[in-house]
Amino acid sequence: MMNDQRFGIRKIVYYSEEILSENGLSPAKPAVRATAAAVVTNPWLGGKPTDDLGAEVVRLAPVLARKLTDVLAANLGGVEAIQAFGKAAIVGTDGEIEHGAALIHTPFFGNLVREFFEGESIICFADDRADAGSSLVVPLWHKNAAATRTHYQTITTRVSDAPRPDEIVVVVGASTGPRPHSRIGDRLTDPIVKAETLGELVP
Amino acid sequence: MSIRKIVTVTEDILTEGGREVSPAARVAVVAAIVKNPWAGQGFVEDLSEGIDAHASDLGALLAPRVLEALGAPAEAYGKAAIVGLNGEIEHGSGLIHTLAFGNHFRDAANATTLLPAVEKRGPAGVIFDIPLKHITDATIRSHHQSIEIRINDAPHADEIVIALAAAAQGRPQQRLAAFSTEKN
Repeated sequence: MMNDQRFGIRKIVYYSEEILSENGLSPAKPAVRATAAAVVTNPWLGGKPTDDLGAEVVRLAPVLARKLTDVLAANLGGVEAIQAFGKAAIVGTDGEIEHGAALIHTPFFGNLVREFFEGESIICFADDRADAGSSLVVPLWHKNAAATRTHYQTITTRVSDAPRPDEIVVVVGASTGPRPHSRIGDRLTDPIVKAETLGELVP
Repeated sequence: MSIRKIVTVTEDILTEGGREVSPAARVAVVAAIVKNPWAGQGFVEDLSEGIDAHASDLGALLAPRVLEALGAPAEAYGKAAIVGLNGEIEHGSGLIHTLAFGNHFRDAANATTLLPAVEKRGPAGVIFDIPLKHITDATIRSHHQSIEIRINDAPHADEIVIALAAAAQGRPQQRLAAFSTEKN
């Protein structure tokens, strides 16, 4: 059993939304969107903006990738049920955005999230520096084909009492399906759109 | 009952006050976002028809889900009704302050006490706290706690958020003297 205290994990929050009806109609392919968020102590507090962040990334990011993807897979019906993914970080006000970036934007997090979710796409993201209780919109897209328009979607994540100034909230998001009633075509069906061919439609 | 969305939240607290909490303290919430049964009807004097039509169904939907999300026997519990801006708080109270709603949770959790509650009116994205108390003795001080919830796009003006909360334990690092030991 992993010793969570050693990694400075204070709390793990899972949030999911199952959409049964949208604009009065049940979705043809009902999806559950979810986030798993870990609240960790910022390991780089008091450092200089020139410090190398690598050592703590190697120590902490893989643990977070494992833990957060496990929480999502367990709640969403397994890795095979997950079709879309995303990631995010909210840095407390004593830290740098770069600290959040360090935890989610290197292979020690991103590659592992992709591997654990059996995906191939680059993982879309959001990050912010904010007070405890701030909401962050986490973008999600298809885990194997990022340009799949039906799966462009978001979920809002929030932890009521985090991040404290000396903490970072690290988030993985997932969805088991497309947007409800997705019906805006795809790259295969799009017409060629250029300003000159639209004529008067473009002021 | 017209349900738009079901939201599930779990919080696992692994450290509190800088010390490990072992096992992690878990609180779970499941919320249903429903159409206000009395929306658009003006002032409805007798709410019993809508209560009879929906309260029991909501309790039956939410009770097993919140216990499943908790994944452990419940030791504390609570409930919430958050009414959208076009409704009355009385509408939300009608749906949750009836035995037809609460007994589903009480029976499933082997509980006996009244469920503490929050009733509130607000816009979509309003933050609310659900109070929880011990399931068989509301004077057990260690189990007085609350969990904060926010649903980004609910309740719409004609909706109500109905929620149940369950905790597998009291507060993490609880260490207050028992109620019975306190002098007047």
